[in-house]
Amino acid sequence: MSTLIIGFLIGCAFGAILYMGGATSYRRILGTLLLKDMWIIKLMMTAIGVGSLGIYLLDMNGLAHMAVKPAYVWGIAIGGAIFGIGWAVAGYCPGTCVVGSAEGKKDAIFTLLGALAGAFLFSLAFPFLEAKLIEPANFGAVTLESILGINGIYIALPFSIAMLFVAFFVLKDRYE
Amino acid sequence: MNKDFIISWKVAGISLGLLLIVATALVKPLGVSTQFVVTDGMVAHQVAPEFAESNTYLAKYGEADDWGVGYGWMLVFGMVVGGGVTAQLLRRRQPDADKGSMPELWKATFGPSQTKRYLASFFGGVLLLFGARLAGGCTSGHMISGISQLALSSFIFGVITFVSAILMAKFLYRGRA
Repeated sequence: MSTLIIGFLIGCAFGAILYMGGATSYRRILGTLLLKDMWIIKLMMTAIGVGSLGIYLLDMNGLAHMAVKPAYVWGIAIGGAIFGIGWAVAGYCPGTCVVGSAEGKKDAIFTLLGALAGAFLFSLAFPFLEAKLIEPANFGAVTLESILGINGIYIALPFSIAMLFVAFFVLKDRYE
Repeated sequence: MNKDFIISWKVAGISLGLLLIVATALVKPLGVSTQFVVTDGMVAHQVAPEFAESNTYLAKYGEADDWGVGYGWMLVFGMVVGGGVTAQLLRRRQPDADKGSMPELWKATFGPSQTKRYLASFFGGVLLLFGARLAGGCTSGHMISGISQLALSSFIFGVITFVSAILMAKFLYRGRA
């Protein structure tokens, strides 16, 4: 039972951060995708920089509940390409369309409805797609740690520094 | 003149990273897109239980929580509450450019038709979830949580998704500087 409450509270914080951080804003999303306003990519790289270091510090102490997704190359590549088109067209991703809907943005609500329909369509196509795109070329739930065979913290530390460095000092907004 | 944001990307990014660490320590990393399947499954199971149970994909996620809600669904429900409440409280501090359903950039290029914007949003949403489920995750599960776990799958997803989205955005707004 308490897991449900923890999930709810984490979700509340997640929704509040996305809203306050401008992640539900079309101008911010498209700004990043048009490589002009780097707000969203800087936000994401900062989160990954902090998150990767923290997760591998937890993992060093046996405290991380990891959930690594399997690397089936075809499904991820084609799914990612389709996702990218939807992201640019809607201006939302699945999480931000939920928060945008809660804000009362109608385009977010239409994205949310489309997303429910898209998930349903996928469930119908799943048996076919699983055989064609998910089962072949599946390398399993591998990480840089398991591929390189060195303790993840030695990868996570420089990776984290690189992410934060790029977000804070390299990426610059370009307005015309 | 209001400032151009409520909290900066630095504050938002650091908070999101810390939240991800807390979630990973307590239960598991963040993820959203699976819950669209769970929600479809809950509805389908109410309307047509036999269909829902015979649909392998809906059943895979639906049966995990007996066609009800689990941790992940409560997380997304929390996003509705947390996002909705903060939006009510901070409405006056939100920059005008971030408000509403008809973004300036869209309007300047595709005209003032709301139908057009909502249709694009709907079909964008269809592609988002079809793609996310095929790839096994979305921006939160793959990009933020997955790359933070240094998962190979998530690096592939992150690169391909950004390339595809940038090309599509450049195509949509071609001719504009």
